[in-house]
Amino acid sequence: MRPFKFTNTKNSSAAINLLDRNPNASFLAGGTNLLDLMKEDVERPDELIDITRLDLTSISSITRGKNAGGVLIGGLGKNTNAANHQLIRKDFPLLTKAILAGASAQIRNMATNGGNLMQRTRCSYFYDTAMPCNKRSPGSGCSAMEGFNRMHAVFGWSNECVAVYPSDMAVALSAMNANINVMQKEGQIRSIAINDFHRLPGNHPEKDNTLNHGELITSIELPKNNFAAHSAYVKVRDRNSYAFALVSVATGLVLDGNKIVSAHIAMGGVAHKPWRASIAEALLRGKAATLANFRLAAEAEMSHAKPLFHNKFKVGLGANTITAALQLASKGTDAVA
Amino acid sequence: MEEKNNLIGKAVNRIDGVLKITGKATYATDYPAKDMAYAVLFKSTIASGTITDIDTTKTQESQGVLAVITHKNAPRLNVKGGLRGGALLQGPEVYFYGQHIGIVVAETFEQATHAAHLIKVEYHKKEEKIDFEKLAPSAGMPQGKELADLFRGDAKASLEEAAVKIVETYETPIEHHHPMEPHSTVAVWEGENVILYNGSQIINGAQASAAATLNLKPEQVRIISPFIGGGFGSKGGQWANLVLTAVAAKMVSRPVKLALTRQQMFNSVGLRQRNKQKISLGATKDGKLISLAHETTTHTAIDGEYIEPCGDCSKIMYETPNSLISYRVVPMNIILPTYTRGPGKSTGSFALESAMDELAYKLDIDPIEFRLKNQPERDPSNGKPWSSRKVIDCLREGAKAFGWEKRNATPGKNRIGNNLIGYGVACGSYPARQRDSSAVIKLTRNGNLVTATVEIAASDLGTGTNTILAQTAADGLGISMEHITVKIGDSNLPPAAGSVGSVGAASFANAVNDACTKITDELLVKSNKKFFVRPTASQLMISEHINSFDTRADAKAPMEAEQYSAHSFNANFAEVHVNIHTGMIKVTRFLAVTGAGKILNPKTARSQIIGGNIWGIGMALSEESIIDPRWGNFATRSFGDYHVPTNFDIGKLDAMFIKEDDKIPNKMGIKGIGEVGIVGVAAAVANAVFNATGKRVRSLPITPDKLL
Repeated sequence: MRPFKFTNTKNSSAAINLLDRNPNASFLAGGTNLLDLMKEDVERPDELIDITRLDLTSISSITRGKNAGGVLIGGLGKNTNAANHQLIRKDFPLLTKAILAGASAQIRNMATNGGNLMQRTRCSYFYDTAMPCNKRSPGSGCSAMEGFNRMHAVFGWSNECVAVYPSDMAVALSAMNANINVMQKEGQIRSIAINDFHRLPGNHPEKDNTLNHGELITSIELPKNNFAAHSAYVKVRDRNSYAFALVSVATGLVLDGNKIVSAHIAMGGVAHKPWRASIAEALLRGKAATLANFRLAAEAEMSHAKPLFHNKFKVGLGANTITAALQLASKGTDAVA
Repeated sequence: MEEKNNLIGKAVNRIDGVLKITGKATYATDYPAKDMAYAVLFKSTIASGTITDIDTTKTQESQGVLAVITHKNAPRLNVKGGLRGGALLQGPEVYFYGQHIGIVVAETFEQATHAAHLIKVEYHKKEEKIDFEKLAPSAGMPQGKELADLFRGDAKASLEEAAVKIVETYETPIEHHHPMEPHSTVAVWEGENVILYNGSQIINGAQASAAATLNLKPEQVRIISPFIGGGFGSKGGQWANLVLTAVAAKMVSRPVKLALTRQQMFNSVGLRQRNKQKISLGATKDGKLISLAHETTTHTAIDGEYIEPCGDCSKIMYETPNSLISYRVVPMNIILPTYTRGPGKSTGSFALESAMDELAYKLDIDPIEFRLKNQPERDPSNGKPWSSRKVIDCLREGAKAFGWEKRNATPGKNRIGNNLIGYGVACGSYPARQRDSSAVIKLTRNGNLVTATVEIAASDLGTGTNTILAQTAADGLGISMEHITVKIGDSNLPPAAGSVGSVGAASFANAVNDACTKITDELLVKSNKKFFVRPTASQLMISEHINSFDTRADAKAPMEAEQYSAHSFNANFAEVHVNIHTGMIKVTRFLAVTGAGKILNPKTARSQIIGGNIWGIGMALSEESIIDPRWGNFATRSFGDYHVPTNFDIGKLDAMFIKEDDKIPNKMGIKGIGEVGIVGVAAAVANAVFNATGKRVRSLPITPDKLL
């Protein structure tokens, strides 16, 4: 890896100031993705600011104000702790399921919640510095567009980039309308809705998200919801553990008897960001929670997919997975596939 | 007086288990050397052409760099010295993507890695041959005579006459060995001699090929490899990295360590080639095979030929009057394929045993009964009698243990919740051979305690060679295992065969056993006494007050072994659950029943068999390397893309051994289990998927998308 300067601090403002003054600096949290990318010469920061000592690891209930009933998760808490915390397991089991569907126990023990949001695509052309890639080297071209694109996007891609965003956690956060709280220089706090946090590639695939240089993710806010009893995360992958999603679906159903009051559906493995299945959600509102309705909504959503050469299967698989997730959620969060 | 131990056949613990779990077992990179320098390889980013310029200016200025070695300044090596895969920096030509084109040596690994990133290479590109789909129709005859077309009767005509037939093509992708220990070497020169610490499945082979390539005499090269972190064939023949480490060490006049990265493992040490296998089977209405053709099309390197023998199982598994085994091969700009666990048999049995399952289904005969109906009395390929052949027992006892009677013969009918459940069966085999090996036994007495040292240039891939040799010596000498020291993995020891092709246990253990017999005989002569009951070597050392005594045995396979056909055989049983929505498959149960002669240690043997089973499950469900036909690079370039099985993919595994007492292949009756454990596995899983879903997937791996 390239030589770099290593700095650490226990103070959030100091960390932000350090980052802000050097456009080539990066924060280092769990390092489960950044260090790999540096070893491969994909990421080339000349300074790493270690933020693992910042006091941003707690998980707490929001008891007052308009967000009362929600939970705040520290940006530098470990994925494992978020997944297993009693507040999360009890009121936001969808998040637990999604986190535990990702990576391996060892990686989840290292990876932070903020870092999970910041992880970069696993497109193999992005990792291979000998290949053209607009995300790694803007203007060089997209190798995956005409290449091996079985793992790639079916929604929202551009001619510049067809990569998908790899997180499982963020797919659940998307379905739960989480907010990402970030601290800026001089201590201002900005809150970004999860569905505005990651972006579609458009003409700037090098930008994964809307975070600005010099901003630090301090916490993730989970607003109170009423689908804890009816949620599901279904992840389809090439092996049963430690693989990125071909397609994944996070869903929560608010039910009134057998009637769907609202459906919350987000997909992973299909786009450059967690893909909110708003067409399916709209179709299900007010309908009976039946397999036939689930299937109709799922197929309606997937009918808008634009698959690439090697991932045409994702259209049918996406419909199956949405259907399966909705069916599971309707049976109850503890139902087994 | 000490009694004989009877340890052979007992499930004793590994003698090196504690060393391994405490990190004290010394693998190649664990050897310290004073003033070690670190080498990093850099590789071509084209598949075919010529290097026109390598700009190393920035690299040489980079901190800590000691040397940059390319074809321009590398010493002349003997490219026909026996190393596999070329890439020895002898010229500007590039034959495959990822060919080594240079080495950076620096004070630290990190400095060398960074400096290697600064190299600029310019090429003159030639048109690459990398699209197997396009090139397969132009494949020609292999150069190797052993793979010439093999006809018996008339397979084509008899297929026409068959009442029931199957003609299908089965595809298997490129796979990689990916042992846990990537190929690594530490090279230390002592004057004109070099010590190479390097994981080597064949100690003397590594020595010979390294010496020849470096233009040295074999005795100038010493290979040290007491422990190997897996190899699966990729550390059988050695690759350029072994000798390039020695070259680097010579050029900087310091010891050098060179370890391949996981990414570099994809195109540095061979691979299992992609195969298209066309199987044509014809049978009578009552299920007697009358025709079997197994036609394989595959690829090899531009500058060398290796073809895995996919038709081997088809030669011997079933009785048929008419058969054809053939190979066609096309050279491509891909690294030389090489021996990969169960070479030919694992992939070949996927095709043959899938086709047998398809034909059984068409005939409406239980797939086990169908196999039982077509067992050959003698080896159909050469007419020789079997030394022993327990396929029938493997199938019958396996069926009973697995609960085969619970299988629903109609696919897609066994469902629990959202899962379809299926059972599959498939057989396999692998030849049993003993190869020349020598062993030295050294006995030392201290009062009434006799200790022994066993010396043999054997290798231990992690499978338990150290342990079975200690067991063999303990029994052969009448000394308990804790008083036996086993020295292996050093070319200064008596020469031996390798841990390859399932010959290791038979070759090494018979050599040690012969040495035990010989040393006892010699001690008897020395004693000049007659004994009513033959004493052990240990007893003789004590009774005759001998302080130290050595001998060496040079063991060979029995002469009569050639007159028989000797193989290990197995039957594999798989249970799969397939999710109806997602197509995800879980192998919930797997049973391998193996007839492999004398099992020296049921504990290490079970580990070997289930290890083979797990790779076979990976072959069936997830392992595949994809080449981008535009450049010739692997689009699957890490363990994030190349999916080996995880714990969660593997359900309950069981290994059963059928008792066999077969002294024909060798005196100890050992047939070998390293390879056979993977043979037939992928077919058993694929057949189970068919039984579960009614979908026949003929192209591995069976990923979820193929079941939608």
